[in-house]
This record gives sequence, structure tokens and C-alpha cells, in this order.
Amino acid sequence: MSASASVRLENATFRYPGGKAGIFDATFDIAPGELIVCIGPSGCGKTTLLKLIAGFLRLDSGRVYLGGDDVTAATVRSRECGIVFQSYALFPHMAVWENVAYALRVRNIPLAERRQRAEAMLDMVGLGGYRDRLPAELSGGQQQRVALARALVFKPRALLLDEPLSALDAATRVTMRDEIRRIQKQQNIASLLITHDQDEALSLADRIAVLRDGRLVQVATPQEIYDRPADAFVANFVGRANLIDGVAAGADAVDTPLGRLITPPHGAPNGASIRLLVRPERVEPAVASGGENVFAARIVHDRFFGANREIELTVGRGSIKLETAMRGGIAHVRVPREAVQFLPTH
Amino acid sequence: MRLRTQLLLATPAASVLAIFFALPVAMVAVDALREGTKAFGRAFTLPAFWPSLAGSLLLTFAAAAVSTLVGVAVALHLSRLTERRRTLLSFVIALPLTFSGLIVAYGFILGYGRAGFVTQLLGYAGFDPAVIGKALFTPVGLAFASSYYLIPRVVMGILPVLVNFDRAQLAAAESLGATSSQAFRQVMLPQVAAPVGAAFCLVAAVVFGAYGTALALVGTQLHILPLQLYSLISETGTDFPAAAALALLITAVCSAIMTTGEWFGSRHERHL
Repeated sequence: MSASASVRLENATFRYPGGKAGIFDATFDIAPGELIVCIGPSGCGKTTLLKLIAGFLRLDSGRVYLGGDDVTAATVRSRECGIVFQSYALFPHMAVWENVAYALRVRNIPLAERRQRAEAMLDMVGLGGYRDRLPAELSGGQQQRVALARALVFKPRALLLDEPLSALDAATRVTMRDEIRRIQKQQNIASLLITHDQDEALSLADRIAVLRDGRLVQVATPQEIYDRPADAFVANFVGRANLIDGVAAGADAVDTPLGRLITPPHGAPNGASIRLLVRPERVEPAVASGGENVFAARIVHDRFFGANREIELTVGRGSIKLETAMRGGIAHVRVPREAVQFLPTH
Repeated sequence: MRLRTQLLLATPAASVLAIFFALPVAMVAVDALREGTKAFGRAFTLPAFWPSLAGSLLLTFAAAAVSTLVGVAVALHLSRLTERRRTLLSFVIALPLTFSGLIVAYGFILGYGRAGFVTQLLGYAGFDPAVIGKALFTPVGLAFASSYYLIPRVVMGILPVLVNFDRAQLAAAESLGATSSQAFRQVMLPQVAAPVGAAFCLVAAVVFGAYGTALALVGTQLHILPLQLYSLISETGTDFPAAAALALLITAVCSAIMTTGEWFGSRHERHL
């Protein structure tokens, strides 16, 4: 195990009894202060992964380490993970400060100290003035902060967040993203955040773990994931993607349904199948025909988002997606050679 | 909503309240107060009044406590089942509510009476059949018999609360370092205590005023207030104003218990 890792999963395998779903052979670690965001489609095993680390589920095989200790057989309470639940799971009959201080209460910390530590934590999350309220008297964003404070007050070995922002409105979500990041960095705690929101993953994570059918497909920085996705699934799941299948037609050309694309050297023999990735924001509207990788195009769908447009066009026998801030019609598109990436065909 | 529509919609409820509660209680009150408070004095000095009050209180407390305990345990179990199994079992549990008290009383006599099947079995196991056979005809025995229609009431009252309880709270408590017992006592129990209290009050009020099963089981031999009232009404040459005074007392006690239950219920609402 990496000497500095706070959380490590080693060949973790778990299968739900009587089903095919689970986690299979997952290995990754989280360093102190690092935030890994686990992303994947519904039912891929994201929450299962979190439950395996927290101890709510037990591995069939493999190991879990927290702070260097093998906790594979340990109970939930002895693992000491701070968890922020999707529903927040605040205790509605306790005041805000009592919620935050609960972990200290069960550790028999004297009342005065636990009140003082809970209040300090509430100040940190910006809820100093709300300590005596009940959770029901707070907004969703405020409840989220209480849940975060409660999960951190006892200095846990790891912070696990299960879709913490999914119940919030769009504006609050953006604010809370920054808050979670700030507090997590301030506490220098190894953290795993589960989400299905790719924007959340890209903007929050030190590294992203992409999960598919219970298997980790790629664990890398957001930029690596976006710029060098491991396969078509990752490319398609994180960000928008034009996935174009073609056939090698020379050292730096590929015949595709769009037409012949000039590409960086691909190293494949003539006639070999090649899968290409072109991100929509790299496709450019062109003013006239002619030139390298310029194709006549016809708009099929045009979605206006204010700052930019997402446009789908038919090109040759295929189609391509484009993102642009440009207003007006588009009759030609250009696919810059350097925008073309190669993906495994399997 | 317009006032006229509101009044129209409130009419059925108001009619039910008037026909089935306000009018009968008013008639009883008129009868009881015909001679001022003298009827109350006579009711309270009846030779069986104080033993009957004690018997009713014992029966009420025992029946409500046992039914609440068992009902909560059953509801806890049901709340953890899948919705389909829960619906099926809820139906089975609610079935006793549809039975006649007379039939159940007869069944209890056959099962647990002096010559009852269970009594005889326990006799073979070394217990004294005479003691066991007599137990059914005491307030505690009657409490046992009454629980057949009280337990389903508790289950039906508590089950929605337990089903809607966010179990992630228990998981959260555990992750924060609580033992299962601490999570139950400090997180779940305080949240369900008020509805449980309300259910206790509801069944207590029901059993305090009930007489059907008791009458079928023991006739008027057992000292409880509803049977005392029944005796007063049914016996010839009876003192009707005293019976009305007794009826008012029973109504007042039941209403007080129900009000306490409502207060418990409102405490639960406050956290939601």
C-alpha cells in the first residue's frame, strides 16, 4: 500500500447475494487531503463502493485499509469514517449543535467540550448563528452544511459523501461544491464523493474514478479523463463526445462516414478499424468549403444555452456534434487535425 | 376555497359528530344533571364503584401496556419487510378487528377457560388448571383477551411512522460511533416515542370504555366501570341518573386519555 494513502481498496470484490451487481476487483487509494470523485451511470456500484469502505457491506474478497490499518473485518463504528448521506440523515429531534456533537456524545466527551467543538465546526461551515435550531428549520443547503460539520467534528479517518448535492437546487449546488472543496482541503482529509453529475466530478475532483458495471474503468485527474479517456464509455460519460468509427487510409488519414479525416499519425495499417474521438467544442464552424477536414453540414438540432449552442449536424453519411458561441447558420464544419484522438476499438 | 364550499364539505363530519357524539352525550348529561350533582354522589357511593374504578384502571393499564409493547414489536418487524409482504401481513394482523367480541370471547373460553384446551395442556405440563382457568376472568385475564383487538390498532397506528422513519439516521449514528443500542435509544426511540404514546392512549381509551368482550367472558361478575354501568342500566328499578353520571365519568376519562394521545401526536409533528 502507498505509504501516504489514507484510504486504500485492494482487489475489492463484493457481489450482492442472488444478483450480478456488485464491485469487482477494485483497487485504488486516496491520499490525505485528496478528493476522489466516483462517477458512473445508475446502478454501476458507486454507493456500494462507499458502503464497502464505510463498513455497511463486507467484502467477499480483497482488503480495505484506513489510515494504514486493515479494517476489512472492522465494524462501521470502529472504522471512523465521516459520512454525508444523500438524504443528510440529520436527527430531526436534535438541535443543530446536538446533531454536530453527536459523535462526541457517544465518545463520552464532556458536555462543555462537545458544545464548544460543535460550535467551532458550525462556525467553520458558516452556520454559527443556527446552532439552536432544529434541522427542519434550515434550508437544504444549510442542512447539507450541518451534515458536513457532523461528519467532520470527530476528525474521521476519511470523509465519504454519497451524492451530497443531488437534493439541492442548481444555484445552491454550485455554492456547496465550492464549500465542500474548501472545507475538505482545510481539514486535509482523504475524501470520496459519489455523484452521477459529470460537471460536479470535473470541477471538484483531484482525481475521478469512473465506474461501469462494478468495475473501475479509469482513475485519473479530471483533465486526463477528459483529454485522454481510457475508452469510448469514459469519453461518452464524461463530457460530450463525437465517437467516429473509421478505417485507416494512410499513415495520417481515416475514412469515416463524415468523409476522409486527416489525423495525427495513428500507426495502424491500411484497412484497420479505428475509433476516433473529437470533442464537440473542438469542432469549428467553417465559413466556406475547401481546406483540411472541412465538410458541408446541415443542422439537425440546435440547442441554445445562452453562452453557447449545442448543435447536431449531418455531415456526409454521418453526424457530428458541435459547441460554439457563434450565432447564425452553419453550412460547413472543420475538424482540426489536432482535435482528433484515437480510442481502443474493443 | 369559497366559504360555502367549505361549509358544504364540513357538513358530513359535523353531522356524524352531532348524531353519534354530541347528541347522545348531551342527552346523558341532561339525565345525569337532572337533580343537580346528586346523581354523581349516588354513583360514587355505589358499593362496587371504587372496586370497579380500580379494576378498570388495572385492566386499562395492563391491556394498553401489553398491546403497545407487542404492537410496536410487530410494527418494527413489518416496517423492515418489503412492501408486498408488509401489505399481506398487515391485512392478516388487521383481521381480528373484524371479529365479533362475542365470538372471540367464546374462543378464549374454549382455549383458556377452566376446561380450555390450553389450560388442560398447561395442566399436563404441571401448572394448576384451576388457577390458570380462573386467570382469564380477572382484569389481567381480560386485558389478555382484549389485546386481540388492541394490538392491531397499535400496529396500524405505528406502522406508517416506522415505515417513514429514515433508516439512514441509524446508519449515520453508527458511522458516528454509536452502538446499535445507542442508535436505537438516542436516535430512533425519541422520534417514535410520541406516536407510541399516542397509540398507548388510543388503546387505553378504547379498552377503558369497552364492555362487549368482558360481558361475554365474565358476565357482570367482574368489577370494571363499563360492566357496572351495564348493570345499572339493565337491572330493573335502576337509578338512571346515577347510570348517566357514571356514563359521563367514563366518557370524560376516555376523552382525557384521547386528548393526552393527541398531545403526544402533536409533539411528533413538531419535528417534521
